[in-house]
Amino acid sequence: MKTSVYNYMKRAGKIQRRDVLKGLGATGTMAAFSGVATGAGVRPVWAASHDSLRADILKIPGVGMGSPTDPDWQKVGEMCLGPIKEVVSEGEFFGVELTFMGLNNQNLHNFLFRGFLKPWEAYTGATINWIDLAQADYNARLQQSIATGTVDFDIIEMGAPFEGDVLGRGMASVMPDWVMDVIDMDDYVGYLKAPVGTWDGKTYRISIDGDCHTFAYRTDYFGDGSVTGRDVPATWQEINEISMELKGKTDPLTGLDAHGYLDPLKGWGGFGFYFLENRAAAYAKHPNDPAWLFDPDTMKPRVNNPAWVQAIQDVLDLIEADAYPADQINADPGTTAFQQFLAGTGSMLMWWGDVGSNARTSDTSVVGDVVGFGINPASDRVYNAATGAWENTMNEAPNMAYIGWGVYVMATVDSDSKRQKAAWSAAAHLGGKDLSLWASAYPSGFQPYRNSHFNYDEWEEAGYDRAFIEDYLGSNADSYNHPNAAIEPRIPGIFQYYSVAEDELAKGFAGQYGSAQETADAIAAAWENITDQIGREQQIALYRASLGL
Amino acid sequence: MAEQIFYDHSSDLSHKAKWYAGRVAVYGILIFWTVVCLFPIYWTVTTSFKLAPNVMQGHMIPFVDFWPAWKGWDSLGLSPRLAGQESTVREEFLKRFTNSAITSVSASVLAVVLGSLAAYGLSRFRYKFGFMRNPDISFFFLSQLILPPVVLALPFLVLYRSLDLLDTRIGLILLYTLTVLPIVIWIMRDQFQSIPVELEEAALVDGLSIWQAFLTIVMPIALPGMVAAFILSLVLTWNEYFFAALLTSTDAKTLPVMVASQTGSQGINWWAMAALSTAAIVPLIIIGVVLERFIIKGMAAGAVK
Amino acid sequence: MSQGDLLHVVTGDDIGERRRFIGKALIWGSFAVVVAAFSWCALAQTGYLAWELANWRPALYAYLLWATCLCIAQVVLHGEQGKRTLFVLPATLFVVAMVIFPLIFALTLAFSNWNLSAFEGPRFNGFDNVRQMWTDPFYWNALKNMVYYTLAILVEYSIAFGLALIMASQIRARKFFRVAFLMPLMLSPVAVSWMVGKSMLEIRFGPISRLARWLGWDRPSFFGDPEIARLTIMIMDAWTFIPFMMIMLLAGLQAIPRDIQEAARVDGASGWRSFWEVTFPLMLPVSLTAILIRIIFKLKLADIIINVTSGGPGGATDSVTSFIFREYRDRSNVGYGTLLAIVYLVLIVVAITVFMKAVDRWMNPRY
Repeated sequence: MKTSVYNYMKRAGKIQRRDVLKGLGATGTMAAFSGVATGAGVRPVWAASHDSLRADILKIPGVGMGSPTDPDWQKVGEMCLGPIKEVVSEGEFFGVELTFMGLNNQNLHNFLFRGFLKPWEAYTGATINWIDLAQADYNARLQQSIATGTVDFDIIEMGAPFEGDVLGRGMASVMPDWVMDVIDMDDYVGYLKAPVGTWDGKTYRISIDGDCHTFAYRTDYFGDGSVTGRDVPATWQEINEISMELKGKTDPLTGLDAHGYLDPLKGWGGFGFYFLENRAAAYAKHPNDPAWLFDPDTMKPRVNNPAWVQAIQDVLDLIEADAYPADQINADPGTTAFQQFLAGTGSMLMWWGDVGSNARTSDTSVVGDVVGFGINPASDRVYNAATGAWENTMNEAPNMAYIGWGVYVMATVDSDSKRQKAAWSAAAHLGGKDLSLWASAYPSGFQPYRNSHFNYDEWEEAGYDRAFIEDYLGSNADSYNHPNAAIEPRIPGIFQYYSVAEDELAKGFAGQYGSAQETADAIAAAWENITDQIGREQQIALYRASLGL
Repeated sequence: MAEQIFYDHSSDLSHKAKWYAGRVAVYGILIFWTVVCLFPIYWTVTTSFKLAPNVMQGHMIPFVDFWPAWKGWDSLGLSPRLAGQESTVREEFLKRFTNSAITSVSASVLAVVLGSLAAYGLSRFRYKFGFMRNPDISFFFLSQLILPPVVLALPFLVLYRSLDLLDTRIGLILLYTLTVLPIVIWIMRDQFQSIPVELEEAALVDGLSIWQAFLTIVMPIALPGMVAAFILSLVLTWNEYFFAALLTSTDAKTLPVMVASQTGSQGINWWAMAALSTAAIVPLIIIGVVLERFIIKGMAAGAVK
Repeated sequence: MSQGDLLHVVTGDDIGERRRFIGKALIWGSFAVVVAAFSWCALAQTGYLAWELANWRPALYAYLLWATCLCIAQVVLHGEQGKRTLFVLPATLFVVAMVIFPLIFALTLAFSNWNLSAFEGPRFNGFDNVRQMWTDPFYWNALKNMVYYTLAILVEYSIAFGLALIMASQIRARKFFRVAFLMPLMLSPVAVSWMVGKSMLEIRFGPISRLARWLGWDRPSFFGDPEIARLTIMIMDAWTFIPFMMIMLLAGLQAIPRDIQEAARVDGASGWRSFWEVTFPLMLPVSLTAILIRIIFKLKLADIIINVTSGGPGGATDSVTSFIFREYRDRSNVGYGTLLAIVYLVLIVVAITVFMKAVDRWMNPRY
């Protein structure tokens, strides 16, 4: 769970019950829809014997007892070591040294892993060396390692978008069957199941996180007598209309200019492209077609088809109408979320799970009690790339931006069965079912990603406010298990595509291209270049593999 | 003022008024520019003691606008509260700090040694390496200054990988030496040129060898210049970011890389950022204040022929 | 060979056949070791030898050995003359090793198609990269920006000169002001981009935005408009480097003999005229040096742009280095990025050479 949510929990007393956009908190209901995933309709799996353990770990250090620290992480690691002890005997890996590469975000990621794995090291006799990377350096470092052949790590914390780069080259170790039993993969939310984490039918990934973009909005902007006088928008078309109408009106909270939806107009090392995707997903992700960025037969970019052009046009129209706050052209996603939305500028935003709650926890936020969540808005028409025509049906497509972090074991360990088992058992420990519950409940950098994480009773028992949990987690659960989720292509170099698109979009938004179509064509041309450079045949094969075709 | 006798009474007064006006303008400009130079440093240091509301509300003066808090320094493990405790963040910070110190000092020493020798040679003797004569050799050295870092970026990555120098302090030291060597040669060449040749000639007549003359006669005279070159190199290498970000990951990572990487997807903690920035700039500020005259001497040496 | 040495010494070295032989043997013997080490590493790399190659360190050590032997051999071969060569040789060998090898490698990269994500590794592709560069609007835009950035140096120069003049005049607390003015130069560009570029220029709570509002700019925006964004970057960069120019110019001013200025004053020249007719011409050499060094540093401008604007809005603040940084780091397009860097290097070398020749011609006219 993101830090902010946790902080919010500590102040949970302040919250009143809020409307849950869809009112669908129940995971089981949503799981039943999940047709994309292999294990459709899986009920949350519950091992009754674990109930007390799960309740116990959630008491470390306890809600409202301050942020967990190293001793807490170690204690949780110790208590959750049970499944590992069943398959590994004490001291079995004595003398084995492994290297773990992960993120160094303050008190998140690697900081936790170190604590979690301390008891594992003590029990198995293995030792772990750590490579800490900043998020900004992560992609570059990984690409360099791959290209120069410096795979100096055995276990890596990695996002699914890089699977094409790593798994596609056969650099990772295939998950042994015993690991699958330990981590209970059936429990994953729909979109994290295969094909995510698999390559050519083999499984590689232990998920430790889930990611998707959800819709956050200001509740005081909507409803009768509000500044908009309308209901919460359910479609992008409504969002655009509202954003236009709000021009010249006054924000009910801050008394400054009111603004509608906040599009980040500046790049963010590739991550900024997700935000155009949010709009485009609703237009372009047809329920009958898993592909939406490229044509899976030719890798011809779809980014210049009418659906994507419409998404760009929406933004251009809003720029033209001067509907954005000042300086929006220099606002990257971080700015829109943390410096605009939270500070009372703008009324609607797409972001990963945490911004809405951050609004209430952060001392800098002025939008405190007026934030609600939903899934990515729909569109009243959807483009069918197969027929080349728009279809006038409602279309919803949550954007699974980044798909979340996972733990992967590198093929470097495969030559030595002892090392291999050691590495996989360490990874399995981090991806353990109970450990992950704790990680999703306390600041860790990770969000809930298992159906069993959405059992609100557990959260309530641990001291969390039920209304908030249903509101916040509901939007996530709805997105995760959506049958028409827009899933990121896990092909090599995907962030190169995003990065070049950001540069071209920046030019388009700055008015250096004649139209949305021209901007989109420029992106498509650049994407074709990248595809040719990386190798078209190979990209087609990998794209199809990543889509499970 | 001796000139006063040339003026009569009334114009003397107006002259005085003009003089005062001039003084006011001069000191006004000086004080304005001092503020321009120092305010960002003040802002960085005070921000490291702020909490979120202080930052958002733009509070500026500690104890008046806001009450200083140690939150930013907590995140480095450098606050009084955490002084006695073991702290992984402080260990991390100190490791980066040590790396920065070792690489920048070693590289500067190496550059000053190599550069001074070369500069002395170039200022005293005529060489001919193949087609290259003295001006060509000088240009060869100084032209390294022109080399944009991006040209060397990837080649060095691959080269260092084959030499197993990636993520080592040695690798970084060698590269930094290369980047500051032209500046050292630039400064030292002018330093040596300003020392009269007659000194060494006298020494040589007395029976010293060239190297003895260099070490015993010339070096002591040129020492301030060498200190200046050393400090300038130190400034440049301490602050270097591009190559450090590229060539180091765990063991040899330096402070600027740590500063640049303090952002995640969670927004920016200004107070932590400010604390870290402060810690990164304080050593050089101290050096700047204490050894200012050497720095100025160094740059002056490069400027005046 | 030693004709025209400034330090002229008569040396009577008697170098015999034997000594000459030892010297030559040293050089060529150690060179043979280098060749052997390189070929051994190359063979081991390609797998011809049944020896696992950990790294190319043997080649590095062989080079070090050769460098040492070469230095010793200079003395053996040339006696006193060799000892003189010894002053320059270590630095030369160091720079050659650190620059020439990587540059050769960079040249081969520049003409290959290498995307780090491609499975095949580098492939030679002739002049494809050059053609791509020719039609790459981003690169030309960045080059154009570099021209603007470089032109800004003239303004920096004027400010620095003004400050230097004041500092050179009769003022109190000169040392304090000198230290204060020096400070920006000591700061790390990364820290500057965060604390100045992001924090102080923050649109709502940044102190500079507050000042701008107080001065009557209703909606201050430092990076929204392309022109203003570029100007902001210029100012931040100038802030760091004005001290550098100022100190060089100050040194120049203080080196001007007092009596020249006195003489001008006695001749009745006003302050303004004496500046243009006496001080400024005398300061020309120093000025040109300062400007040249400043240009060289300016051409490397990147850290601030990367951290603050990423080249936005719409490429208005992109510098060549920051663009190549994105091409290389975000898009892993190594071959193309290296070509762009090499072309940039060539452009810089040509421009600087022309600049220096022109200055030389101007300062020392040949009749």
